Amino acid sequence: MSGVQPAPPVARALRRSVGTATATATSAGLAFAAIDYLGVVSVLAYAPGATAAVAILIGGLIVLLVSGIFSELNGLYPTAAGIRLYLGRAVGLRTSLSVTFTYMTTVVLVIAADAFLIGAAVRHMLHEPAVLGYVWIAVLLGTALTANLLGVRFAGWVQTVVTYTVLTGTVVLSVIALFHRGTAFRHPFDLFGQGSFSGIQAIAFALFLYAAFEWVTTTAEEARTPRVITRALFIAPVLIWITSTLFALALAHLVPYSRLHGSAYPQLLLGQAALGTVGEIWMLGLTVLTALNTFNGGFLVTSRFIYAAAREGNLPRQFAWLNLRAVPWLAVTTLAVVSAVVAAVVFATGQWLLLVAVGAALESGIYAIAALCLVVLRRRETRERPFTLIAGKPLATVGIVVFTVLFLATGLSDPKNARHFSAAPIAVIAVLGVLSTGYVLVFVPRLRAAAAARTAAGRPRRRPPRPDSGGAATRAEPTDPGSVTRGR
Amino acid sequence: MADWGELAEALADYTVSCNENVRLRKMQRDWSRTLHFICSDTGVTFSMEVDHGEILSTPEGHVGTPDIVVTTESEIFCDMFWGDLNPVQKYLRGEIKVKGSQEDVMRLDAISYVIWPDS
Repeated sequence: MSGVQPAPPVARALRRSVGTATATATSAGLAFAAIDYLGVVSVLAYAPGATAAVAILIGGLIVLLVSGIFSELNGLYPTAAGIRLYLGRAVGLRTSLSVTFTYMTTVVLVIAADAFLIGAAVRHMLHEPAVLGYVWIAVLLGTALTANLLGVRFAGWVQTVVTYTVLTGTVVLSVIALFHRGTAFRHPFDLFGQGSFSGIQAIAFALFLYAAFEWVTTTAEEARTPRVITRALFIAPVLIWITSTLFALALAHLVPYSRLHGSAYPQLLLGQAALGTVGEIWMLGLTVLTALNTFNGGFLVTSRFIYAAAREGNLPRQFAWLNLRAVPWLAVTTLAVVSAVVAAVVFATGQWLLLVAVGAALESGIYAIAALCLVVLRRRETRERPFTLIAGKPLATVGIVVFTVLFLATGLSDPKNARHFSAAPIAVIAVLGVLSTGYVLVFVPRLRAAAAARTAAGRPRRRPPRPDSGGAATRAEPTDPGSVTRGR
Repeated sequence: MADWGELAEALADYTVSCNENVRLRKMQRDWSRTLHFICSDTGVTFSMEVDHGEILSTPEGHVGTPDIVVTTESEIFCDMFWGDLNPVQKYLRGEIKVKGSQEDVMRLDAISYVIWPDS
């Protein structure tokens, strides 16, 4: 018998798989949440008027580097666990776990922000007292929680239609607004009009508009071909760029910044200015539609991450409990409760712009780490991949520097005053990072030890030994909670 | 490396464990799928037909159009179907590769988790 192993058979195509249009909608839908309307206002704070379009364009060009980095990493590890995998291979398992937990908080922040923002928008339209904001937060998250617990899933085509409707609807209303007579665009290319650092901060907040588009890599296992994800990673930023740019220009054209600054629903203000009540209802409809993607997609991604982490022993095993609809109910419920608490705190403090700053800084930090992963894995992984970033190592090295600068730019921004600095965003991130790292260093080893003890004390190995093995173990498994190895 | 005989034995036990678990059958009552499996070391392939949570058959070779495709080493398949292995950890390390929706991947793991919660 030759020592050459046969090549594994080629897998047949899946009955249902995701094509480019759906993957692109997933990518854009994950990125373009209700908080993005506020994100544009944050860009305008540092780059007023038409300059915002310059910042959004530069942000988009930088995001294309992110597209290239994630395309190559996804090609190496085309799995829903990809982010964990390449982080683990590049920076070690404990660091990857700590970073991934912190990364997940971005999703929680977006869910919480959307619950608050959508509630605020609905309340405004119905002329309800402010205190009802808490009620709307509870109603929205309660509805999302119930739907998830019942295993309600929106078909892929529904999410695709929703995403393209939101993007198209925003574009159309923005174009209509631009034809209105409004304020002239002043200083269209004055990127540093608010101070020497303002241009960099504007670009950093512009990056936030595209944030989370890379989460489409978690659908790599459903993609028709690996190139589908790569195409989505490059096309989705273009769609977001067009939508955000037109929205920013329309806002600058019709709505004075003094009205935008304190508002949690700038999109309604634009709708009202462009088309009166019809425009307001139009934008309210689009805002509510974003909830479908955020609550459906965000809950799904995060709860499944929590489930997987519990199954492998990195979170308490109770988070893997499944209800009779195969939903990790404790994970989903905890997610909803945490999001509700964050949303209520944001509502009580009025610090929704702080959420934008924290989210923007987190994403910049994650992109810097992804660039670092590419630099490290280029050395360690020599196998073929469907996509290779041209000049990947130097570009990724530049990316580490650029995204670190952008991380600091947003981390030290004052959400209330573009001319000041504030340590509030970076302080929030530092607290999240410390908590996450502390949990990984202190509690994860205890959870794993407890899991190993349960396994050792539990049932003997079920697989019968091979007849010719003399009763010896068929295969030695490493001693970790992921396998059962017990004495006979 | 495990041969088809060992895999078939493991699959037979897995089928009985799955079909006789009342809670699992109730949980998966709305789940009907065709699964394909590929042993990356031996080239052995096999299928699993699931209808409303009941495993109907596990023939050798690929039958029908798959909803999920799982690829790993034959020994890992054997240990997995005997319940002697936590598939999630292997999956998160990239040792088990899956093609299919995240929902279906979770449903597949749910079988192991419900039958052998301490694995």
